[in-house]
Amino acid sequence: MSNFIRTIIVIAYLVCASGGTYASLKLPETIRVEPAALTSEPPCDPKIPPAWRDAQVIDGVEIEADLGCSPDNPTWIAVAVKGTNNVSMDTLMQTHFSPDAIIKTDDLDGDGDPDRIVIKLEIMELNGKSPDFPGQVPTFDIAPGVQPGAWVFAPKTSGMSTENFESVRANPLIRLPSPVIRVEQGDIVQIVLENTHYFPHTIHLHGVDHPFHHELNGNDGVSQTSEMELMPGERRIYQFQARQPGTMFYHCHIQTHTHLSMGLGGIIIVEENKPNNWLQTLNIGGGHVRHRSEAIKEQGYDREYDLHYHSMDKELGDIIKQYNDPRLTARDMNRRYEINNATEDYFTINGLSFPYSLRESLVIVEPNEKIKLRLLNSGNESIAIHPHGHTAKITHYDGIEQNPLAQIRRDVFDIAPAQRLDLEIETIDDGLRNTGEGDWLIHDHREKGITTNGMAEGGSMSSIVYTSYLGENGLPNTSHFGVNLDNFFTKEYWERKVPVWQNLDEAATFGAAAGRTINLDAATRNTLLYALGGLLAGLFLYTIFAGRSHIKQCAAAVISRIRGEKGGKE
Amino acid sequence: MNARFKIIFLLAAALPFCFDAVAQQQATSDEHDQHAQHEQHSGHEQSESKQAEATQSKHDHNGHGINTGSEAVAEHEHAHKEHSIDAESHQEESVHDHVHEDHSIDAESHQHSSESEHSEHLGGAADHGDMHHHHHVDDSHIMDHEGTMIMGQNLDKLPSGCKSISGEVEITVRAGRKYAERFPGTVFAFDQQQWHVKPCSKVTFHFTNEDNVRHQFMMHGLPKYIYQYGMFHLEVTGPKTVSGTIIVPGSDDTLLVHCDIAQHMEKGMKAQLVIGKGGQDIPSIPGLTPYNINDIYDAEDLPKISATENKEDKSKVVREITKSLAKSDTQNYLILLIGALIGLFSIPLLRKIISGRKTSKNEE
Repeated sequence: MSNFIRTIIVIAYLVCASGGTYASLKLPETIRVEPAALTSEPPCDPKIPPAWRDAQVIDGVEIEADLGCSPDNPTWIAVAVKGTNNVSMDTLMQTHFSPDAIIKTDDLDGDGDPDRIVIKLEIMELNGKSPDFPGQVPTFDIAPGVQPGAWVFAPKTSGMSTENFESVRANPLIRLPSPVIRVEQGDIVQIVLENTHYFPHTIHLHGVDHPFHHELNGNDGVSQTSEMELMPGERRIYQFQARQPGTMFYHCHIQTHTHLSMGLGGIIIVEENKPNNWLQTLNIGGGHVRHRSEAIKEQGYDREYDLHYHSMDKELGDIIKQYNDPRLTARDMNRRYEINNATEDYFTINGLSFPYSLRESLVIVEPNEKIKLRLLNSGNESIAIHPHGHTAKITHYDGIEQNPLAQIRRDVFDIAPAQRLDLEIETIDDGLRNTGEGDWLIHDHREKGITTNGMAEGGSMSSIVYTSYLGENGLPNTSHFGVNLDNFFTKEYWERKVPVWQNLDEAATFGAAAGRTINLDAATRNTLLYALGGLLAGLFLYTIFAGRSHIKQCAAAVISRIRGEKGGKE
Repeated sequence: MNARFKIIFLLAAALPFCFDAVAQQQATSDEHDQHAQHEQHSGHEQSESKQAEATQSKHDHNGHGINTGSEAVAEHEHAHKEHSIDAESHQEESVHDHVHEDHSIDAESHQHSSESEHSEHLGGAADHGDMHHHHHVDDSHIMDHEGTMIMGQNLDKLPSGCKSISGEVEITVRAGRKYAERFPGTVFAFDQQQWHVKPCSKVTFHFTNEDNVRHQFMMHGLPKYIYQYGMFHLEVTGPKTVSGTIIVPGSDDTLLVHCDIAQHMEKGMKAQLVIGKGGQDIPSIPGLTPYNINDIYDAEDLPKISATENKEDKSKVVREITKSLAKSDTQNYLILLIGALIGLFSIPLLRKIISGRKTSKNEE
């Protein structure tokens, strides 16, 4: 029926607009989406106090300044360096760490730092389904309003999984990516996996010197060789004493084709053994290392950044948003999800996409410095990382040092899945190592790497920013170029509702074109439909009323015929 | 004429109700089964836990059993200073659970709890040596070095509707994956899904986590002038017990109890505390209240064990039939058929009524 109405309306419109030339003489108007109509977010997370950016000492732990706009909570760093067992109660209570999350004891080699390290990890779901309400819980945005279903290894926390009683946002320790783990060469390390998730999982310590242990279920995390899946509610210990330092990789090895993509993978770094080497055992959210190891300082690096590149498939993550029953989730993930037909949709650096990557994963530098970058690609495909304005030297492949004489310098770094590269950037303006100060983009040069579910410019883009180009708030100062990033900080942009180029000129040359067909808004259309329905119902009732005697007769005739037939049979 | 229509209508309308009633009866009988099972289960549980206690007390250095220790918390406000949450006994217990695995980590935790002599190389550890054995944040927030937590405990503050405490109750709550086994489609659960208490009663919860991960017993909706955020919260990494006490409000109400670890409530760890006659039920409690949002289930064509070879042909036919019956289309047609049959059977009835009328009219 609505089709009929539409046809009538269209005919009427065409009649009105007849004359032919009218249509081309007056093209539809340009629409510019007004900023006030958008859900704007402040560029920096207002919940993060600016004081967190300062260099400071907490419980005797020196914490470097972080000029970025969303630095880590400095108490996290103090806890990660001293261990939950050695840090003060006051400091511990400012975090959500469980008091047994990081236990550091026993200076076995007598060099002034603890050598027995116990790290407890839980597995948490982000943006999962609830049977109680239609939204997701606990939520984690990789960009404004972009909430892929994800799983992460999280440090063992205490209390609620959300920020507080009223919020559905995840507790800040529960986030993408899985945390960066740092341990020392020779430490006796136990990673205790407490499977708080509703599916089975394990940990595989890719590249970390670990024995195939007969008594510890193989200790390799592989359910096809040695180790049963760790069921929900169970605990398992992975133990190693690494002889070889390097940037390595840990991930879940159960149904890896889905579990890794869901987020169950992170960087693990074995640092060289040095005296008084109190390491920042966990770098939550990766990025700037604000308490560097002794070895990195000795090697003359001025700053160190952990950069974890990852990619996720929207359709995979959507499975946990679709079902609450774990059997259905398992069915779709394990048996219906077809990775060969899958495409990656979200590209993240340290768990976030542009513009949120600017909050946390800027590589902030000053001239004439030496910077260490540790890169991991945990995505499904190779990536090609390109820093503008710099070339960098590859010092380590997969954690193993390249012969210094054979080290090469490049400007695009291809990293296959699971590979790690240690890069050395020198901010020396000699036309080779660096071409001067600036706000230099660093991005994946596969072009889809700069998109978020197909929408550019998003993905894993970030910047190497010189402090002279850094704004007060910790974001690159783009305003003096006339660059406005506000639209990127709205969820409507990522919902594809904002014309990307509409603000490039006053006239909005590239704004949206208004529609030409007569678009009744939903309310009017409904009113009309109801009116029509009412009319028809009225007509129908009237006909029935008018012909009631006739109907009665008909019915009586039918009944009597039936009775008559039956009677005949009798 | 109208009356006839009405009757047909009524019959048609009654149909779904009949089906519904049958379905509900099935459901309730299921529930009864579950209850029965559960009772057996919990009986079994107790004997198990007694065994556990027995083995545990053998290895208990301090002479504090878990349960006795935690009851102490409930009864004496300052009991927590006396190792009320007895970590070390738990450590010993867990050794039995994970023979090889836990041994080393266990040894470590022991070391670190008696770490003060090592503290020269541990930075400022000496400053707060013994604190780790028992963190005590404030009266309503107690936490030990393993994250065992009691928050919002209330031993003596009477809610506004209460003149005095109506009675003292102790409730043991068990939590773990095994309690989810009787609810398909869940992974974690409490051993019971609801508890009844009288208004104004002083209730001590002994929360026993039987898994090897964290679980919480978190209650919402308590009066906020006594309980911060209206919450009472026990948290413990199992296998271990923690106890805490509250005084419940004086009016009838039903309060949400859940585990707030991501997806634990969604996957079954949800229950309710019914005070007096209770208030509105909390949704999506396994086996108790329906979900607000339901998943859609469709039957899968999964391989099944076929009957013996002799009967193979027969079973094939049977399988075909059952398969076709299981399809939703066929089911719909079947229901249509049933409807038609009912309609046919009701014709004589209708006829009677009609003829009765006719005759009465004729008489007139």
